[in-house]
Amino acid sequence: MTNAPAALAKPRSQWADVWVQFKSHKGALVGLFVFVSLVLFVFIGPMVWTKDPTFINPDAVTMIKTRNKPPSIEFPLGTDQLGRDMLARMMKGGQTSIAVGLTAMVISITLGTFVGVMAGYFKRLDNALMRLTDLFLALPLLPLLLVMAMLFRAPLSKAFGPEGGTFLLIVVAIGLTSWMQAARVVRGEVLALKEREFVLAARSIGTPSRRMILRHVLPNVMSPIMVAATLGIANAIITESALSFLGLGFPPDFPTWGRLLFDGAEYIQQYPERVIWPGVAISLTVLSVNYIGDGLRDALDPRIRGR
Amino acid sequence: MLDANPTEQSSANSAAKLVEVKDLKMYFPIHTGLFRRHTGDVKAVDGLSFDIFKGETLGLVGESGCGKSTVGRALLRLYELTNGSVTIEGEDIAKLSPEALRRKRPTMQMVFQDPQACLNPRMTVAAIISEPLDEHTKLSSAEKLEKVYELMDAVGLNRAFANRYPHAFSGGQRQRIGIARALALNPKFIVCDEPIAALDVSIQAQVVNLLEDLQEQFGLTYLFISHDLSMVRHIADRVAVMYLGRIAELSPREPLYAEPLHPYAKALLSAVPDPDPEREATRQRIILQGDVPSPSNPPKGCNFCTRCPEVIPICHEVKPELAEVRPGRFVACHLVKPD
Repeated sequence: MTNAPAALAKPRSQWADVWVQFKSHKGALVGLFVFVSLVLFVFIGPMVWTKDPTFINPDAVTMIKTRNKPPSIEFPLGTDQLGRDMLARMMKGGQTSIAVGLTAMVISITLGTFVGVMAGYFKRLDNALMRLTDLFLALPLLPLLLVMAMLFRAPLSKAFGPEGGTFLLIVVAIGLTSWMQAARVVRGEVLALKEREFVLAARSIGTPSRRMILRHVLPNVMSPIMVAATLGIANAIITESALSFLGLGFPPDFPTWGRLLFDGAEYIQQYPERVIWPGVAISLTVLSVNYIGDGLRDALDPRIRGR
Repeated sequence: MLDANPTEQSSANSAAKLVEVKDLKMYFPIHTGLFRRHTGDVKAVDGLSFDIFKGETLGLVGESGCGKSTVGRALLRLYELTNGSVTIEGEDIAKLSPEALRRKRPTMQMVFQDPQACLNPRMTVAAIISEPLDEHTKLSSAEKLEKVYELMDAVGLNRAFANRYPHAFSGGQRQRIGIARALALNPKFIVCDEPIAALDVSIQAQVVNLLEDLQEQFGLTYLFISHDLSMVRHIADRVAVMYLGRIAELSPREPLYAEPLHPYAKALLSAVPDPDPEREATRQRIILQGDVPSPSNPPKGCNFCTRCPEVIPICHEVKPELAEVRPGRFVACHLVKPD
């Protein structure tokens, strides 16, 4: 060997490589930028734009005069049917929607990946877990959500306060009812992966199952998990708005993007901008997260990295 | 046991035996019907007994589907054996508990057939080679890295490649990575499961020479599985010829290639081309008729009786046992009697 230690780079951390590749994916960068802007908008924005999103002018005449205003200096995004400021409502609603979307997605992906890996890797668990998955797939979701909301809303509200309780109820309900697709896809991938020779090689080394899953199986099923995760966020935001619309989610005066969308839908003929704002916000979130997921998936795959 | 007089034979060789296989059976169950009932078995390996001595290379040859790879994997207990024992250094690995088996793993390693599939595409070369070290040693990361570099030197890989991923390498280089991984824990016994089958001829020679050098350097014992008879002749000290899950003939290399005794070994070796054109012109090939019977339903009597050119009535009735017919040569055939 040459005596040139300087030429030998230390094994780099994989994450450095991932970041380098991620940066080269333009869509992912734009997505990340948009997503970060949205997050700043909803979480930092209320500190700058300090109007109360639930403020209804107590003076009936003023209230009626400020109803359904088009965008102006005073109300940059206009007002709703009760004269509340849309910009403030968009910010406040975004906080809830993004938080619900991310949390519900994390719950559903964690659950789905866990069930999928267990079912695919351990033959003994396969049948039981997949029948459980079928069971959940066969359940009509909306009635199930209604029952869950009815049963657990009061105790949760008591324990965590009305907002916290509802938040918890909604993310858990959405997470528990949307993990099945991820589980099935992951199981299929794991089944195929288990027959690959490098898993056999790891067995011949004596790698125990736990590390086998963490080191060899999970990194190789990253792609379908990423796809499921990015689609899951959109689904969670939409499901939350459907729940709120049915009166099972957050209280009616509590803004979320889905709520604003449904409220605005009644007036779509006269005031289309009332639907456009939350619609654009939801679409941007979903799209940016999709692009981030796409970039991450490419960046995590060493075969694509560096092309 | 495979020899006629076990006491004499074992006393002569027991000190040098590294691997002792007795009556190894590996059946894969067949489930059919609505209730997935167990209706039969694929008898991939059906009663194998042989020994591998310290420092030797035992070649295992046979046609596709005769159970060669299954033997290799069963020897490392990558499959749960149906029956039989595999004693490596005095411990029967077929009966070890999972934790004891894990601790035993460093003594026995494997080099795989497909160099593309046997490396995790998401791990760097350094991570792949140091995985056995992570599992079985408590070295610091700097020591591990040093060991990885040493191994890369030993198999002829540039140290600068440590950060690359498997897809960036050629087949031969990948096979070197696989070999380095197998060597990481200083094993005594390595199963080479067709390590050269997926490589170019020019690279095959490199890899086989590397394996030979490493054997000399580290005192390794190989089970070399291959269907390439010329390559086995080059590397093996003794050769076992398998047919349909059983050993047909187990002989030292030179006598086997000079004068095969079992009719199947004769047919198999007659297919090896000779580099000398004059001898090649007069080479008589024995062409076997028919197909290999299904291992789920092997014929009664000798497994080879359906295709054997020298078949006699007893072959259809009685399964011939592997017996020592000449010193060191074991043949399972009714026609070949001890001298």
